[in-house]
Amino acid sequence: MRNVRGTRHSLPNTRTLTVIAQDPSVTFRGKMLTTELTVPAEELLPGPCGYRINVVDYDAATNTLYKPMVYGRPSDGKYEDPFEFKERGRSSLRASRLHDQKLLQDPRFHAQNVYAIAMRTLAQFEFALGRRCAWGFDGHQMYLVPHAFADANAFYSRDDRAIFFGYFMGDSGKPVFTCLSHDIVAHETTHALVDGLRRRYMERSQPDQAAFHEGFADVVAVLSVFSLPDVVDAGLDLASGGRSNLISSKLLERYVLKQSVLFGLAEQMGRELSVVRGDALRRSVSLPPGKPYMSTLSYPEFAEPHRRGELLVAAVLNAALDIWLARLAKIGPVAPGKKDRSIVRDEGARVAGHLLTMAIRALDYCPPTDLTFADYLSALLTIDREVVPDDDKYGYRKWLLKNFNDYGIQQAGDTDADGTWKRCDEELIYSRSHYSSMLHEPQEVFRFIWENRDTLKIDADSYIEVESVRPSVRVGPDGFVLHETVAEYVQILTLQADELKKRLGIVPPKGIDPKRRIRIFGGGALIFDEYGQLKYQIANRIENVKGQQARLDYLGESGFFDEPAVPRPPSGPQSQFAELHRMRQMG
Amino acid sequence: MATAPTSATIRTYHVGFGDCFLISFEYGRKPERHVLIDFGSTGVPKGVPKSRMMDIAANIKQRTGGKLHAVVATHRHRDHISGFATGKAGQATGDVIKSLKPDLIVQPWTEDPKLGPEATGPSGSNANNKKFGAGTSKQVAALSLMHEVAHQSLAAGNLPKDLRPEIGFLGESNIANPSAVKNLMKMARNAYVYCGSKSGLEKVLPGVKVEVLGPPTLKQTDAIKKKRSRDPDEFWHFQVGATALAARAEKERTTLFPRYVESRGLSYRINARWLIHHARTVRGEQLLQIVRSLDQEMNNTSVILLFQIGKKKLLFPGDAQIENWQYALGQKRYQTLLTSVNLYKVGHHGSLNATPKSLWKLFKNKSEEKTANRLLSLMSTMEGKHGSVYSETEVPRIKLVRELQHESDLFTTQLLKGRDFFHDTVVKF
Repeated sequence: MRNVRGTRHSLPNTRTLTVIAQDPSVTFRGKMLTTELTVPAEELLPGPCGYRINVVDYDAATNTLYKPMVYGRPSDGKYEDPFEFKERGRSSLRASRLHDQKLLQDPRFHAQNVYAIAMRTLAQFEFALGRRCAWGFDGHQMYLVPHAFADANAFYSRDDRAIFFGYFMGDSGKPVFTCLSHDIVAHETTHALVDGLRRRYMERSQPDQAAFHEGFADVVAVLSVFSLPDVVDAGLDLASGGRSNLISSKLLERYVLKQSVLFGLAEQMGRELSVVRGDALRRSVSLPPGKPYMSTLSYPEFAEPHRRGELLVAAVLNAALDIWLARLAKIGPVAPGKKDRSIVRDEGARVAGHLLTMAIRALDYCPPTDLTFADYLSALLTIDREVVPDDDKYGYRKWLLKNFNDYGIQQAGDTDADGTWKRCDEELIYSRSHYSSMLHEPQEVFRFIWENRDTLKIDADSYIEVESVRPSVRVGPDGFVLHETVAEYVQILTLQADELKKRLGIVPPKGIDPKRRIRIFGGGALIFDEYGQLKYQIANRIENVKGQQARLDYLGESGFFDEPAVPRPPSGPQSQFAELHRMRQMG
Repeated sequence: MATAPTSATIRTYHVGFGDCFLISFEYGRKPERHVLIDFGSTGVPKGVPKSRMMDIAANIKQRTGGKLHAVVATHRHRDHISGFATGKAGQATGDVIKSLKPDLIVQPWTEDPKLGPEATGPSGSNANNKKFGAGTSKQVAALSLMHEVAHQSLAAGNLPKDLRPEIGFLGESNIANPSAVKNLMKMARNAYVYCGSKSGLEKVLPGVKVEVLGPPTLKQTDAIKKKRSRDPDEFWHFQVGATALAARAEKERTTLFPRYVESRGLSYRINARWLIHHARTVRGEQLLQIVRSLDQEMNNTSVILLFQIGKKKLLFPGDAQIENWQYALGQKRYQTLLTSVNLYKVGHHGSLNATPKSLWKLFKNKSEEKTANRLLSLMSTMEGKHGSVYSETEVPRIKLVRELQHESDLFTTQLLKGRDFFHDTVVKF
C-alpha cells in the first residue's frame, strides 16, 4: 500500500523541536539551557494547530493577535526544527547569546515552546496509560494561549477549553513570560489531563484532594524537566564544576546530588515566576523527612493545598534520588574512582522518566472521588506490582514506600502488608453482561454493577453513574502485554443536613441550616483483567463514616457551608421540549 | 458640672454612593461639639444637582457654626474621602472643611506616614514591627500599590460589556486621591488608630467615651489567623507590573512583539474567533477579581468606632468587613459592649460581608415591635451601583435590608427625595 506521500515506508512518527529546558533564567555554560523534545509528528496547520493542541497567540490585554508559527513540509522524510541552535566555530558564545535573544523575542518560538511541552506531556500520559487520553472537556483540541493577558498567572480553564499563560513586568523592566517556563506549561497541561481522567477531583473534599491536583501536577512537571538529560547534565556541572567526561564517585552521594541537581535547579529557576508556580521544588527538597506532616493538628500549614502538595513532590523526588543511586551502584568505574558522566546523566534522566510513567499510570488505580494521598500511594504500589511483579533489582516500590512514609504519607487502610490494594475475591454475576461490550460500554458496565450491587456494596438509593470505561494496554519487562479495562463509577447521595445522622451516622457541621442539602460522594474504579474478571474494586464507599465525617468537618471548618448553596443552573435544551409541548396544548 | 452631653443629633447626608455623617453633641447651655465622619461620594442618582457636595459642605459649615471639633476618615476609599479634596483656588469642598479648623483627625493606623516604606530607619522599623507586627511597612506599601493597580485597571480597554461597569466602579473608588489624603494629613493633629488604641476623641468630646474596635494591626490579626499565606506587598507589586505593561501598550499602541502583529481587532481569522471571545471574558473576570480583592482589603482598613454616652452606644464601623471585625468580635469585652448598641451605622452601604452575622446577633435592642429603645440604623447607599442580585452581591443586600427594616428603625438615604439632602436622627441620653 502506498501512502499519500508516495512512499511505501511509514511516515515519521516523531519529530524534535527545540524548547527552553526549564525557564530563561536557567543557564548552562553561559547560554540559556535549551533542549530538543521529541513529540508526535503530524502535519501542523499555522499556530501550530495540530490534532490535540491549537496555539492561538492572542493577547486580550492589548487586543492583539500575533502571527502564528508556520512549519514547512518535511523534506527527505525529516521535519524541520526551525529554532535549533547550530554551533559554528569559535564565536559560538556570541552566536549563542544572539540565539537566546531570538528565542526570547520571537513569539512564534513561544508558540512552539508551549506546543512541544504540552504535546510531550500528553504523549507521556498516553505512553503510561496505554491509550489515548482526553482533556477535561468535550472536544479534542485544547487551545494554548501563550500571551493571554498581563497578569502574573497561568491556568487551565475547563469551560474555555484552554490554558491561558499570562506575562508581567519583571524587576529588570523586561516582561516575564509564563509560557517559557517548562514546569508551568507541564503543570497546567497535567491539570487538563487529570481533569479528563478523574473529573470529580475538582469537587470540594478533604484537603488531600485539592492538594493532589496541585502536587501531582508538580510531580509531573518536575519529573518531566528532570527526565531531560540536558537538565541533569547542567546539575552535574554544578556538582563537579567541570566539563570532564568522567565524574568522581565521591560526588555521587545522596547529599551532593540533592544539593547540585535538585536544589541547584531550584536555585536557578526564575525567582519572579515563583508567584505563578509556587516554589514546590525548592521547598519540597529542603523539607526534612521523618515528621508527621500529614497531621493537620501538628502541622496546620500543610492543610493548605499547595503546601500539602509539596509532600507528594518531596516523597517522589527523594525516592528518585534513592533509585538513581541504586542504579549507579550497579555501574562500575571506568577509571579509578570515576564513572562515565554520560551514563550517570542518562541514568538520572531515566529514573525520572520511569517514575513519571509510574506516577501517571497509578491514576487508573485511584478511587474516582474523595482521593487521599494514602489512596494514591496504594495505587502507585499496586499497579507497579501488576506490571513489574519482581521489584528486587532496583527496589522502586521499596524506595517509594519508604519515602512516602518519611513524609507522613501512609498506605491506605484496606490494603495488604506491602501497601497494595486487596484483590477482589467476591463471587460475581457475569452471565448477564457481555465480555466484548464490557470493554468499552458504560451501559454494559452499569448493568454489571446493577446486577452485583449488593456484593459490590453499592448503595442503590444513591445516584450511580458509570463515568468512563477505558481499555489499558501496557508492556511489562517480560515483553508481554498487560490488558486491563478500567471502569469508573460515581455515586452521589443528596441528603438534608438533619438526615445525615440517621442515614449515615454522620454528625452535621455546627450551625448548619438543618434543611441545607448536602452531597455525599462515593465511587470506585473497577479493574477488569484480561479475562474480563473483576480484579480490583478500588472504592470510596458512601457508608465510610470516618471518611465522610472528616470531609464534612473539613468543609465546615473551611467555611464551605457559610456560602449560599449554588443555585440550580437554568434549564438547557430539555426545556425546549416543555415549551414546545405547552405551545401545542395552548393551540 | 454637667460635662456630659444631653443628646446628639446625627445628620445623615445624601451623597449618593458614599458616606457622610455629622454628629452634633448637645451640652445644655454649653456650645455643641461636632464630629464629621467621612465625606465622600463616587456617584449620585440622576437628577441630583452637581453642586451636591458643595451644598453639603456649606451645610456642615452652617450647622457647626464654623467650628468642627473632629474629623474621622474611616478609610481611604473615594466614597469616604473625596469631599476632603482641596482646589487650586481654595474653593473646593475640602477647603471648606479645612476652614472649620478641626482639632483632631482620626484615621486608621495604615494611614500613618511614619509606617510607610519611606520611613525606614532601623530603630523605627524595629519598633514598628514590635508594635504592629512584622511586615507592617510592606502592608502599608501594598496599600499604595493598590492605587496604581486601580488606576491601570481603569485604563484597561476592550473589556467585555457586562463586566465594564463593575470594574469601572471599583477601579474608580480605589484610585489615589492625593489632594484629600494630603488635606487630611495637614488639617490638624492626627490620630492613627487600631483596635484597642486611644482615639483622642475623648479630649475633644467631654463626657463621651470612645472605643476603637478596628482595624486590627497585623500583630492582632496574626493572633487569630494561623498564617498569612502571602506577602501582600509582593503580590500587589506583581499586579502593578502586570497591568502596567498592558496599560502602557494600549496607550502607545505598542505591543510585546510589534513585528509580529497579525491583527489588532478589525478582523481576526475565523478559526481564532471563538478563543478570542473567551480570552476576553476570562481576562475581564481576572481583572474584576483583582479589583474586588483590592477593594475588600481597603475596606478592611476601616476605623470602627463605638461612642458611649451614659448608657447609650453609637456604632460607626465605616466599611469594615468580616476580616476587620473578626479580631474585635473575638474579644469578650467588646462582645459585651456591642450587645447594647442603640444606633448602628450600617457597614459598607449595606453589603453582604460588612454586617457579620455574629455582630448582628449580638444586638439586644433589635425588636420587631416599635419599642422606645428599639435599635436605630442609618444607611447611606444607592442601589444599582455595586454588585448584582443574581450573584447575591448587590449593595444594599436585599436580605439585610429586609432584616434591618424588620428589627430596627431603619433610615436610608434612598428615602431622601427632591431637594432634601440630609436627615436628622436625635438620640437622647
